[in-house]
Amino acid sequence: MASALEQFVNTVRTLSSHGNFRELCEYLSKSTEILVKNTQHLDNVLETLDIQQHSLGILAVLCAKFTAPSTANNAHDNRFTQTQEFILNCNGEHIRFAPDTFAELCHLLTNYLVEQRQPLKGIYLLEKAISKLRLFDSQLTSIHADLCQLCILAKCFKPALKLLDIDITGICQEQSYNPNGPQFDAKYFLLYYYYGGKVYLAVRNLERALYFFEVAITTPAHAVSHIMLEAYKKYILVSLLLHGKVLPVPKYASQVVSRFIKPLSQPYHDLATAFTSNSSSELNAVLVRHTEVFTRDHNMGLVKQVSSVLYKKNIQRLTKTFLTLSLSDVASRVGLSSPTEAESHILQMIETQQIFATINQKDGMVIFRDEPEKFSGPEVLKGLEEQLQLCMDLDKQILSMDEEIQVNPQYVKKSAGFQEEEQPSKSTYAM
Amino acid sequence: MVVNNNIDKLAEDLEKQELEAPSGITTPQVYEQLLAIYLYQNDLCNAKYLWKRIPESVKTSTPELKNIWTVGQCMWKRDFSGIYKALNEVTWSDTVVDIMKQVQESIRNRAVDLISQAYSSITIDTVCAMTGLTPDICIPACVEKGWSFEADTNMIHPVRQVVEPAGQTSSEDQLYKLTDFVSFLEN
Repeated sequence: MASALEQFVNTVRTLSSHGNFRELCEYLSKSTEILVKNTQHLDNVLETLDIQQHSLGILAVLCAKFTAPSTANNAHDNRFTQTQEFILNCNGEHIRFAPDTFAELCHLLTNYLVEQRQPLKGIYLLEKAISKLRLFDSQLTSIHADLCQLCILAKCFKPALKLLDIDITGICQEQSYNPNGPQFDAKYFLLYYYYGGKVYLAVRNLERALYFFEVAITTPAHAVSHIMLEAYKKYILVSLLLHGKVLPVPKYASQVVSRFIKPLSQPYHDLATAFTSNSSSELNAVLVRHTEVFTRDHNMGLVKQVSSVLYKKNIQRLTKTFLTLSLSDVASRVGLSSPTEAESHILQMIETQQIFATINQKDGMVIFRDEPEKFSGPEVLKGLEEQLQLCMDLDKQILSMDEEIQVNPQYVKKSAGFQEEEQPSKSTYAM
Repeated sequence: MVVNNNIDKLAEDLEKQELEAPSGITTPQVYEQLLAIYLYQNDLCNAKYLWKRIPESVKTSTPELKNIWTVGQCMWKRDFSGIYKALNEVTWSDTVVDIMKQVQESIRNRAVDLISQAYSSITIDTVCAMTGLTPDICIPACVEKGWSFEADTNMIHPVRQVVEPAGQTSSEDQLYKLTDFVSFLEN
């Protein structure tokens, strides 16, 4: 048994020192079994390897330690400290030869921390891991999803926001030894956008949240993913919160959304219909009828927010009809119980600039005003400039992606073949 | 502005300390200061989640944390009189006393802004509740701001402030940007 491990160490050392990393990766992927079988000796193996020179070897050993049958009851469980040291000090260039294994280690670490109920401990480690693995800031790795998951569990969102605020323009090619060429597991892609949407929801950034859920539900798919289903439910709720109606799902969404996902989220559609009827009593009826579903989906908090937004929406509608209105009239028309409650709602809306109004406490009246003219200041110009800048960047991005596709050998071959097929048919048509 | 920068910097430091704590639990002082700073920044979401993730044992050993969060809860509910009551009921320890003072100041400033934006007339009682001041301080302060006071009805008539947009960019800078846009549109 020990000799197998000795051979393992020797091979890792020679291949590393010769710089044959590709060969080493292949060797390592075959030797997992030996490592898992000899769990008790793995700490000795680690001691003989150098963290900078033999990063790949250590990576394989650590993965084996996590996959080995449960050592959970082991008193000196040093897996966390070892992984911590590895992520902080490993050689970034080496691990990029085995991005799949490195990501796998991070997934294992995440699961471990979730089981241990200590998600906070892993956040800065995964941040570090991501910065080692990715080649540029806007590249998505499958570790992104893990970090978001830990942040949600730890209720600590700032580290996740740092990542989420960067728009993704590239995907890290993991699983490089896949027979079908480099790939990225769709699960982690969907999870990233689903978790990301949840993080934005938690910090009340509804616009970004809606965008993230939209990406999740418009991902090309042939089968229904549970992640997409949940994202769709949240998409409806956030859409109601933000726009007061359900925005149509973009046309480029795959068929499964309309065919399977929509029928599966009927309670949410009922809620949306009740919401658009502007009647709070109807909305509450739906809420009571489907309470069980909403609670089971863990969406009750959002549903309650939707019902409180309806009051605000109704107050906003009043501004279209009336110039002045007494507070008690506002309360009775919107369905609030007292003028004081109406006043506090209006005050809140004035503060967030959702309506423009003045309250007159002397007569108990509200005067609705027009939106102040604000399309001429330097602020508008600044906003315009920012928007233009964004469009220009996007254009540049698209051009460069287009160029990349144009010179892709596979694409050239296909499009050339296509044209050849086309040619004869055209000539026959001419005859 | 200097104070402002310092506080943002301090917040970053504290956040880092929390994340890098080996056991996942940092010192009560870090929690206290971070919670107070979130309140000062009016970042109630992060304050709420911080409160939720502070371990139960730390909460019991440091009762002051609970006091800070009471302020946050009142802010969440927009219960102005509750905020001032919670702020002034307790003597804050040295760890947070400076920050809590600034919390009170920033809340009062926001309340005054809101009054001037939202009311054309308002009872003196409401003003007192929203600023946490007694009438004999409040009335002269209002008059000083140019708000008229009607003694017989106890009404204050606030004057709407016009918010001045700040920050003009230099014309050179603008010209540069315009050239950029035009060259983009032409191509």
